[in-house]
Amino acid sequence: MQLLLFNAFNGLIQGVFYALMALGLALILSLNSVINMAHGGFLVIGAYLAYTLSPYLGFWGALIVGPLLAGVIGLVVERGLIRPIYKRSDPLYSLLLTFGLALIIEDLTRTIWGAQGLPLEVPDIINSPVSETYFFITGYRLFVIGITAAASIGLYLLLRYTLLGIRIRAGTRDLETTAALGVNIYKLRALNFGFGCLFAGLAGVLAAGVLGLTPPMGNSLIMPSFVAIIIGGVGSLFGAVLGGLLIGLAAGIVTTYYPAASEAVIYLMMLIVLAVRPRGLLGEEGLFE
Amino acid sequence: MTAILRAADIHTFYGKSHILHGVSIEVNEGEIVTLLGRNGAGKTTTMRSLTGLTPPRQGTIEIFGKNTTHWPAHRIAGLGVGYVPEGRKIFGSLTVLENLKVPPARPGAWTLDRVLALFPRLAERRSQLGRQLSGGEQEMLAIARPLLLNPRLMLLDEPSQGLAPLIVREVMAVVRRMREDGLSVLLIEQNAPLSLSIADRAYVLDDGRVVYDGRAADLAKDSDLVNKLAGAGSKAVRQSA
Ligand SMILES: Nc1ncnc2c1ncn2[C@@H]1O[C@H](COP(=O)(O)OP(=O)(O)OP(=O)(O)O)[C@@H](O)[C@H]1O
Ligand SMILES: [Mg+2]
Repeated sequence: MQLLLFNAFNGLIQGVFYALMALGLALILSLNSVINMAHGGFLVIGAYLAYTLSPYLGFWGALIVGPLLAGVIGLVVERGLIRPIYKRSDPLYSLLLTFGLALIIEDLTRTIWGAQGLPLEVPDIINSPVSETYFFITGYRLFVIGITAAASIGLYLLLRYTLLGIRIRAGTRDLETTAALGVNIYKLRALNFGFGCLFAGLAGVLAAGVLGLTPPMGNSLIMPSFVAIIIGGVGSLFGAVLGGLLIGLAAGIVTTYYPAASEAVIYLMMLIVLAVRPRGLLGEEGLFE
Repeated sequence: MTAILRAADIHTFYGKSHILHGVSIEVNEGEIVTLLGRNGAGKTTTMRSLTGLTPPRQGTIEIFGKNTTHWPAHRIAGLGVGYVPEGRKIFGSLTVLENLKVPPARPGAWTLDRVLALFPRLAERRSQLGRQLSGGEQEMLAIARPLLLNPRLMLLDEPSQGLAPLIVREVMAVVRRMREDGLSVLLIEQNAPLSLSIADRAYVLDDGRVVYDGRAADLAKDSDLVNKLAGAGSKAVRQSA
């Protein structure tokens, strides 16, 4: 029982990272129509910048500034590289472009920070176990859950109640009409891409506190995050979060009984969902409806 | 009279298909101009060229004295060009109020309150999703939305399409009201007699070319000509004649 709880909780934390990644990916997919293969790269950028900045800003400062910088870099990348290919309707272009970008970011990270793993120091107050029996429930892991919940709610409020959010939702549905009504869709898409990358950066900093930093740290998260979107339903941000948590939890639970299948179970779930409900769990509706 | 919109010899394509073959039209300050023509004549394509959604490959478009030929759509709208697209294009998953908040409000007489006062049905249903509205309500919303840009020029693509006669009359009353407010209007219609009755001037398009250009009243008198030129719209002429 203890082992099951241990693995389930580990899986849940993993699921939280999937959810954060999937949220950013889904935002970018729905408004920018880009399958962002470089999303793991933005996770790495957020994590390593937080690592470099934490001696100066402390953990808390780095937790905020790292993701923000990942978002700003995302914005610049969108302006410089992604924007010129929007007019090509074939998704292959953006797929190849962001795939290349992912490789470049990984190699740059290796060049700047080295290939060996690095630790991200987490303050003691949030790093001690909450109880002795459940030693795996550290304060930090609860903190990760709390921050992710706060960030998701923040995004929800932004999309629901701000003018920017209303226009992002409108653009997701009908970009052309949104533009004809006077909305600068170039700015809108750049901001949206930046938001998506900010979420990747946040996942990176939080994950670094648990797993440490390595240049390919984003790679193991990106495929399950795509699976999370497919299970949750393309077009639904809430579905992306749900999908992420579900597959993390499932992988954790399966680890207890049959560790070798812990990765395969994610893809098995995707196949089952696709067979039973091709549009995903919440796929019929759009952004938080 | 000064032309606030002038399209000169525009050629517009969808991919390789050449749709507009040198269309020239003008709208003067304070005018209602109607654009007629049978199905597939190129009316919508003309409007998409003017709004920047499908920019022409040849020719020039001037709006309010600026050469907007290759401007992106949002910049053209920002000049004060309101667009009511064919098929209304309401954001179905947004509420009525949210639909009205999509256009960045430009300062002017039209405020959210005033727009809601003009369309009481929309005010009543402000929290409903766009897709829950009736066709008539959606059309009202499609017209109300660009008003928040405080446009000086309105482009309407078949606002009466698929609506009951009573609602059509209401839509036309709103169009007249716009002109009284000093707006210039370019109106696409299948229903030729209806739009000729409120327009000052008319253009008829056929196969991507302007085949008639003159006073709306003159065209309205000559139902045979309407018949010949405007195709589908002429059925209504025969019925009413
Ligand atoms: N997206 C598109 N791609 C290719 N061809 C198109 C496209 N949209 C329209 N066309 C073609 O362009 C021509 C003109 O179409 P357009 O929509 O401008 O006509 P219209 O006068 O508005 O007709 P209707 O009265 O049916 O609305 C038609 O032959 C149509 O088939
Ligand atoms: Mg049309």
